[in-house]
Amino acid sequence: MANVIVENDAKQYIVVRLGDEQYGIDIRYIDNIVRMQKITRVPKVQPYFRGIIHLRGEIVPVMSICTKMGLPNNEITNDSRIIILKIEAQGLIGIIVDEVKEVVTLASAEIDKVTHNTKDEKSNFINGVGKHEGELISLFDLNSVVGEKEAV
Amino acid sequence: MDVSQYLDVFIDETKEHLQNLSDCIMTLEREPENMDTINEIFRAAHSLKGMAGTMGFKRMQHLTHDMENVFQEVRSGNKNVTSGLVDILFRCLDALDVYLENIQNTSDEGTDDNASIIKELNDILNGDDDDLDGEAAPEEASQEDTAQETMSEGAVKGDLRQLTDKDKEAIREAIGKELHVYGITACVNEDCMLKAARAFLVFKAAEEFGTILAQTPSAQDIEDENFELSFTFYLAAKESEEPIVAAAKAVSEIAEVTCREILAEELDEKPETEAAADTEQEHEAEAVQPPAAVNAIVESAAPGKPEKAAQSAGKKQAANKPVTSRTVRVDIEKLDAVMNQVSELIIAKNSLVSISTSEGESMNNQAFHDQIESLERITTDLHESVMKVRMVPIESVVNKFPRMIRDLSKKLDKKMELYMSGEDTELDRTVVDQIGDPLQHLLRNSADHGLENAELRKERGKPETGMIRLNAFQEGNNVIIEVSDDGGGIDTEAVKNKAIERGIITREQSETMSQKEIIDLLFMPSFSMAKKITDVSGRGVGLDVVKSNIEALGGDVEVASTIGEGSKFTVRLPLTLAIIQALMVEIRDGKYAIALGSIQKIESISVNEIKYVQAEEVINIRGQVIPLIRVDNILDLEPKEEEEENLTVVIVKKGEKSAGLVVDNLIGQQEIVIKSLGKYIENNKIISGATILGDGEVALILDVNTLL
Repeated sequence: MANVIVENDAKQYIVVRLGDEQYGIDIRYIDNIVRMQKITRVPKVQPYFRGIIHLRGEIVPVMSICTKMGLPNNEITNDSRIIILKIEAQGLIGIIVDEVKEVVTLASAEIDKVTHNTKDEKSNFINGVGKHEGELISLFDLNSVVGEKEAV
Repeated sequence: MDVSQYLDVFIDETKEHLQNLSDCIMTLEREPENMDTINEIFRAAHSLKGMAGTMGFKRMQHLTHDMENVFQEVRSGNKNVTSGLVDILFRCLDALDVYLENIQNTSDEGTDDNASIIKELNDILNGDDDDLDGEAAPEEASQEDTAQETMSEGAVKGDLRQLTDKDKEAIREAIGKELHVYGITACVNEDCMLKAARAFLVFKAAEEFGTILAQTPSAQDIEDENFELSFTFYLAAKESEEPIVAAAKAVSEIAEVTCREILAEELDEKPETEAAADTEQEHEAEAVQPPAAVNAIVESAAPGKPEKAAQSAGKKQAANKPVTSRTVRVDIEKLDAVMNQVSELIIAKNSLVSISTSEGESMNNQAFHDQIESLERITTDLHESVMKVRMVPIESVVNKFPRMIRDLSKKLDKKMELYMSGEDTELDRTVVDQIGDPLQHLLRNSADHGLENAELRKERGKPETGMIRLNAFQEGNNVIIEVSDDGGGIDTEAVKNKAIERGIITREQSETMSQKEIIDLLFMPSFSMAKKITDVSGRGVGLDVVKSNIEALGGDVEVASTIGEGSKFTVRLPLTLAIIQALMVEIRDGKYAIALGSIQKIESISVNEIKYVQAEEVINIRGQVIPLIRVDNILDLEPKEEEEENLTVVIVKKGEKSAGLVVDNLIGQQEIVIKSLGKYIENNKIISGATILGDGEVALILDVNTLL
């Protein structure tokens, strides 16, 4: 165990796939990852909300992060998962991703901060880009992901 | 001593005592001679004082102490109960309420001394109030200048009672050391500008001779000029009294100084009322400035500091959330019932486990079904018990109303009486907590707008005293609370004109409106009928708030009114919020729940029966024309490919309004647990929540109130 170095400024991210791109979600905010299940549609809500699901006796709203970011809609496949996020006091919320790939540890040196580019809607939901084994991972800014603002 | 762990209990009990006091004082006003009530009041005030003292809430204790003194006088027959006295007592209760609220929010009582109330209480004690009982306390207060000899006797002796044990101990000790202890009362000139400074100089002069052991009012109060003309302190000195008195008198603007030696025996004369008066807080405060530290008073007037530090610490805490949680007091029997059911539940579970491990197919099935049945029974019982635990009588909310009506009666100068019935009706705690404000609004409304003044009532041949009724009772799954008055009723013409004037409706519209529709206008935002704005009502933030508050609780409010005879507001509330009986229906492939309480009946209607009124679909059911609502349309569902011959229509009602909801299929009645959709989803109001069905599927709950 001696050669395990705990890096204080390193964070763990779960790497998910949305379309062709890879995104990272800070593992501290993840409550659970569940398989795709029947989502009960709720009428007259924000368009990016797919509906609600039942999770351990609770009702959890589920949204499509793709729709919210203005990407093409998720195609539901066998690999699709719902990631249940738990953010502070606001309760649980699920986001649909196309595939869950792996868990990576990124040191802060491996993360480039991005500045918000108003022209690019997607970047409003990203607060950094991580480099891991030659691949780029966009890191979600979860507060804006679950927040009210929507890409137009 | 750390008393924070008792804070919850303290707050609960203080509330009870305050309520008790309020009730008793109301009774007392009506029956001033009722000894039982007086004794009850006395007991309540006494416990309050004791509790506040133990918890270290000094100001609260001080106020209750003075109240208690007044009650003492009333009890011993020296004082008569007058309306003025009752007014002051109620103001005391209000002040205590404020303290309590502060304590609840910040665990500190706040810094308001309520000196004016205390002064008034003392004035009553001293016979300065307007009652006829002139002989009660002739020597004191009013004759300070002339009868100084008597005054000093009275004052010093009286003040001895106000000393804490600690102070008395100090005095005893000093006497034990063969020092003379003098009770010195100094009186400043009436026109003295800097009373505190004068007092300070007197202390300084006195300290040339010895040590000040104690003072009344407290050092803090003196520093804040929180005292009348005179103050008393206890000095331990070797000298005889003359030079001390002379030195004190030498301070300018000091009118009188009287001195009396305190003897050890006097300290033990402890009136019974004082028994519980000692406070931890006082001990602490005094401990910081024991006789040895008296210099502190001279040098920097520091005695207030420890208390101030405590206050600022309290203020820091104020930023945080309320320090106490919301609680329900539960009858132990109810808890026992829950416990029993839980043990039954465990037995049932164990049986199921043993069945699943035992062998033999056919045997299993029978036993299995038995257990499922008993499980069903237990869970229903358990649900009922738990619900009962959450239920509290509305008493806790409504019993502050008699007091409020009394105040309103004075303020509005109208005679009125409140009659309440059904205070023991139980409601879910969450509902009870929130029903207070709307009811208060309604009562104020009745008092201000409903009831006429005495002359007008006479003219109309009604008894001079107006009557307001509050009646609560249970009806099926609802609790009904009625607020009615025998006043003038709602003048629909006036309402109509006002609405036209405000541009809420047009004149044409007004002509086709029914009485009821006009009355409903009262619930529109910013619609006030009061001709002038009073602080009782008339700001236009009344009835619409009432309505929205009650609707937020899943209830509704209706008005019935007959002009000249009065009006009646009916508030309907669901018994509980968490679990309801619902009809499950199917619309396309989704399942929806409709609260059973709002369903009138279910009809099968042939398509031919649908008529059109103003391009809206209606149906005629036994002479009643009701609009048809295509729920699938509202929910943005795909229309059916082929319309069926017969439609299943669920007739729902809200108050007087009805409508028919078209659904595809009926599933059946079910008990459902209401779950919120969470904060993320923007509330669209048609869906009031969701529930989880037996198979884990999610069904949405349709809110009939918004559909109509």
